[in-house]
Amino acid sequence: MTRERGDILKDLMDGVFLMNEELVIKAANEIVAAKYDAYDAINNGLIAGMNKAGELFDQEEYFVPELLICSDAMYAGIEILRPHLKVSDAREKHKVVIGVVEGDTHDIGKNLVKIMMDAAGFEVHDLGRNVPLASFVEKAKEVGAGLICLSTLMTTTMDGMATVIEMLKEEGIRDAHKVMIGGGPISQAFANKIGADGYADNAAGAIRVANNLLAKAAA
Amino acid sequence: MNTTATIPADTQNSIERVLCYLQGKKPQRVACFPLILNHAARVLGVPVGVYNRDGKTMGKAHVAAFRRYGNDLILIFSTTSTLAEAMGTKMKFFDEDAPQIDEPFLKQHSDISKLKVPDFSKDGRLPVYLEATEICVAEVGSEVVVSTVFGGPFTTAAALYPVELLTRDLIKNKAWVHELLEICTQAGIKFIDEILARKALPIIVEPIGSGSLVSPRHFHEFVAPYLKRLADHVHKTGGGMPAVLHICGKTKPNWMAMLEADFDIWSLDDVDLGEAKKAVGHRVALVGNVIPANLLKNTPEEIDAEAREICEKMGDKVGFILGSGCEVPINTPPENIDALINAARKYGRYDN
Repeated sequence: MTRERGDILKDLMDGVFLMNEELVIKAANEIVAAKYDAYDAINNGLIAGMNKAGELFDQEEYFVPELLICSDAMYAGIEILRPHLKVSDAREKHKVVIGVVEGDTHDIGKNLVKIMMDAAGFEVHDLGRNVPLASFVEKAKEVGAGLICLSTLMTTTMDGMATVIEMLKEEGIRDAHKVMIGGGPISQAFANKIGADGYADNAAGAIRVANNLLAKAAA
Repeated sequence: MNTTATIPADTQNSIERVLCYLQGKKPQRVACFPLILNHAARVLGVPVGVYNRDGKTMGKAHVAAFRRYGNDLILIFSTTSTLAEAMGTKMKFFDEDAPQIDEPFLKQHSDISKLKVPDFSKDGRLPVYLEATEICVAEVGSEVVVSTVFGGPFTTAAALYPVELLTRDLIKNKAWVHELLEICTQAGIKFIDEILARKALPIIVEPIGSGSLVSPRHFHEFVAPYLKRLADHVHKTGGGMPAVLHICGKTKPNWMAMLEADFDIWSLDDVDLGEAKKAVGHRVALVGNVIPANLLKNTPEEIDAEAREICEKMGDKVGFILGSGCEVPINTPPENIDALINAARKYGRYDN
C-alpha cells in the first residue's frame, strides 16, 4: 500500500535532521516506487530537513558532527532521487566557486559551507583545499560564478585572499564576481581591509551573506 | 610609539612574576604570554623549516626570542600533530611555514591494532622537541618558565584519523573513538613524564575540542575525561606545577564541560575574556587574548589599545595573564610583540 506523499516527505525531512540515514533511504525508495515527484521530494523533504539542521546549528544545538551526519543522509537521499528528476526540473541556479586558499589544507569549515550551500540551492563548484590563487579566478570566469568563497584557518595564508581580489581587479572583472571570505583568523575588519564583499563567521551565516550579496548583485 | 616614556620599569624578572601566580600573591604587574611558537625562527633568522626539524636550532631560537622580547613563557612547539606524527601520521614540511598533515596514519578502523605509544628517544620529531627543551632550560631556565607544548588526546586522535570521519564516529562508532583516545592519552602521559624530567612545564593544546567543532555533550563524553587524566598526572607528578590548557577558537559553549578536566590555567582565543573571568575565573587563571591576525596586521598603537581593553575588562586582574589568543603569526612585526608586552607593563598594574 502506498503512503501519502506528505508522510513520506516527513520521513525524508526527519531522517535528515534526526541523522537517520536508513529512514531517508527507505523513504526515497518509496518516493521512486510510488512515482511521486522527485524534485518535490528533494526540496520539500531532504533540503527542508537540512535547513532545519542548519537552524539547530545556528542555535548551537547541533555542532559539526551532527551537521556532517545530517548531510550524509541528505546526499544518500539525493543519490536515489536524482535519476528520477525531469528535464523541466532544471532551473537556473546561482553559481558559486569555493575553496581553501593556497598553503592551507584545513578544509572542514569550507566543507560545511559547501554542504549548506548545496542545501540552499546554489550550484557549488568546489576547488578543494590548497588551491592556487589563479584557479579561483579561472574557474569563476569559466562557469560564470557570481560569487567566489575563500576560506583559510591560517594567518600565513590569509593574504592570498587579497591577492585573489587584486587578480580580479587586474583582469577588469572585479564587479562581475562578489567575494566572500571566512575562516579562523578572518574578521569583518580584515574583510573590509582587503575589500572583500562579505564575511561570515560560520556556515549558517555564510548562506545569509551569500544570499544578500547575490540579491545586491541582481538589483 | 608615543608612550614609551610612560612604560613603568619591571621590578621582578619573569620567573619571579610567574611564581607569584602559583603562590597566590600579586606580582608587580600581570605576566605576558605572547604565544611565540614558530615565530621564534624569525628572531634567530633561520627558515621555519630548519627550526622545526633541528632541536638545537629550535632551542636557540626560543632563547633568542626570550632575549629579544622578555616574554614570560617559552613555548617549545611546531604543530599540534607532533604526537600523532611520532605515532605514524605523515607530515608535509615547508621551508617557511609550519608542517601540515599529509597523510593520517589510520586509514580504516582496523588500523588501530598497529597504533602504539611512541618511543620518545627516536619517533617523529619528539627528540627535536626534547632537545630544544633541554637547551632552553639550561640556558634561561633560571630566568623564565620553559614549557613544551603538545596536542591533547582528542587533537592527537584527529591527526591520526581524518577529522571529518572522526567527528562522524563520535555519533556512529563511540567505542572505537574511546579506544583511540585511550592510546592517545597514554602517549600524552608519557610525554608529560619526559617534559617534567627536563624540568619544563607541559602545556596541552586541544584545538579540535573547540566549540566550533564539538558540542558540550561531546566534550563531556570524549574530551574532558581524557584531558582530566593528563591534568591529574601533572598534579600528581609535577611537584606543584600547574596544569595548563590551551584551546583556540570559540570555546564559550564548552566552558562548563572544560571545567570537568580540572586544569588550573586556561589560555583562550576567540572569547570575551571578561565574560570568561565572570563565568570561570573562580576556578581557573586565564591567559589571553589579543587576536592573532591583529598582531600580524595592526599597528603597535592598535595592539596597545586592544590589550588595554582586555586588561580593563579583567577587573581586579587576579588570575589574569595577558597574551595572544593563539599562535603569534610567524611574520608578526617585532614591534607588535613589544607593544603587547609593554601593555602588560602599563595596564597590568595592581596598584592603580
